[in-house]
Amino acid sequence: MIPEGMRDVLPPESGELRAIEAALCRRFEAYGYGEVRTPWLEYAETLEAVEDDTLEAGYRLRDQQGHELMARTDMTVPVARLAAARFHEKPLPLRLFYVAPSIRPWAPQRSQDGEFVQAGAELLGLRSAAADAECVVLLCDCLAALGLRGFRVALGTVAFYTALVDSLGLDDDREKFLEALAGRDYPMLESIAGNAGVDQNALKVLWRTLELSGTRDALSQVRKMASSDAMDEAIRHLVEVRDLVANAGFEDSLALDFGLYQDLTYYSGVIFEAYAPGVGLPIASGGRYDGLLARFAWDIPGVGFAIALDRLHEALEEAGAVPAAAPACIAFAGGLDEPARAMELRRAGWAVAALPAGAPAPPRPRLQRSGGSYILELADGSEVSGSWRDVLRALGIA
Amino acid sequence: MKLGLAYHGGPPPAQLLDLLERAGLPAGALRAAVGPALVDVGEVTWLLAPGADVLEACVRGALDAGIAGKDLLLELAPPVHELLDLRVCNDVLVYATPEPAAGASHRGRPRVATRYPRVTRRHFSVTGRQVELVAFDAAALAPGLGIADGVVELRSRLLGDDGGASAGRPAGLHVREDVAACSARLVAGRAARALGGERLAELLDRLRASLEER
Repeated sequence: MIPEGMRDVLPPESGELRAIEAALCRRFEAYGYGEVRTPWLEYAETLEAVEDDTLEAGYRLRDQQGHELMARTDMTVPVARLAAARFHEKPLPLRLFYVAPSIRPWAPQRSQDGEFVQAGAELLGLRSAAADAECVVLLCDCLAALGLRGFRVALGTVAFYTALVDSLGLDDDREKFLEALAGRDYPMLESIAGNAGVDQNALKVLWRTLELSGTRDALSQVRKMASSDAMDEAIRHLVEVRDLVANAGFEDSLALDFGLYQDLTYYSGVIFEAYAPGVGLPIASGGRYDGLLARFAWDIPGVGFAIALDRLHEALEEAGAVPAAAPACIAFAGGLDEPARAMELRRAGWAVAALPAGAPAPPRPRLQRSGGSYILELADGSEVSGSWRDVLRALGIA
Repeated sequence: MKLGLAYHGGPPPAQLLDLLERAGLPAGALRAAVGPALVDVGEVTWLLAPGADVLEACVRGALDAGIAGKDLLLELAPPVHELLDLRVCNDVLVYATPEPAAGASHRGRPRVATRYPRVTRRHFSVTGRQVELVAFDAAALAPGLGIADGVVELRSRLLGDDGGASAGRPAGLHVREDVAACSARLVAGRAARALGGERLAELLDRLRASLEER
């Protein structure tokens, strides 16, 4: 028995996940990002520096001095803590990445394991559309490099939302309204808007904006609806990011979505989510969080994203693009008694599992000694029987 | 295109199918359909299944869009986008009790039977009242069984429309307050929005046009 929501990972899935992780690390490093690892336990106080609904249910324990500790519920906050503590006043920008598990209490509607691995990148110290674009490009490049076809990155911005809500002229109800907006609670939105006497036309604009997503005419429509400088500025910024991403060659993978929302409260600018055919929930999500580092006494901007490894794995399975975990392993009956021969195959790049002589026939590919000669049976059905030299030749070694 | 339609036994409501047909969707074949089932009609595959299943299929990216009742959306709060109020299958979630003036028992907090525990808990807590929840699918029968003082249920499930003819139907439940207005809604999962935005926008435009025609 293991705790609810947790899981074991067995071969070959474990090998596939490792191959995916390795491919992602190579992409992160190709853009100059350096890997960081942080402890999975943090002071509860550290994680609570950020208001986040997922914290309330997080796993907590106490150390021997009675300090309250907490299992991290995501990586962005620990990386922000690490950056502020270890790189304070160092030259910017700072490029960091991680591949690490986080833990959240399992709930059926989250359709994610209690412990889930994320691969993510954080670009700290730059406040520009170009920095936003680099993160989106890096995400697209990661997915494309793995051979994932047909994925889409939806790109939106929190700034457009807040500007739109400002234009509605809500005062006291602003926060409540944004909360309802994030939860897509339309009746609540309507009742708040009704109480505040919001203009019906302005509300219609809001609905229309929320509906327009991923459509080709979304941009022109939203431009027509923009009624304040802040909204114009948000649109201009998004277009700039989109053009830069297009310049990097990922135009077809990008869709502007002015109705995009994120549950996390620390996002302050662009937000984006990646979707792939056959997987209902986002395989990656990210955005700009300019206020986050300030909570750890280093007021620098930041933007980043995290890929959910299990969902990416599922998407790659759908696309038939799961990277091979390991070369097929040859089961060598009698190999335990002939370590030198097994070693010869391994040095040539084959995986060999040595078995006692006379072991019951394992699945192919398999190799066994029979008197003075060897029988090699490969996975494609071919068979070779003869001397050791024949075996080597059949395996393309000699 | 894959679409989902919440199914409660019996053919789907005629007014909903009429609306879909006016919007150019091939829904005629559903008039005699028996669910749960996958029904292929022309270019559209319909999933006829309980509303919760339709929502789950949307969340998991298996459907372009689904049609389900607002009551379920309120109760399950799934991560879907609610795109359009189809303004059919209108109903009201209500709080009802056997006596017009009942509702608080001698224990100080009434027992409320319901299929909607989350909606019920929220409704009473935001109005500053405490209730004891009884999860009971046939909620309207609970007061008669003596296991609840009141129910939160759709009005249409509470009172037999045919008066005395509905033998065995709970009689004498009095609506004390409305909890939420409900109707059929068009929803889409987050992935459908991102991957099939054009298709969805077109479907929305057609449905909206046929709503305005009415």
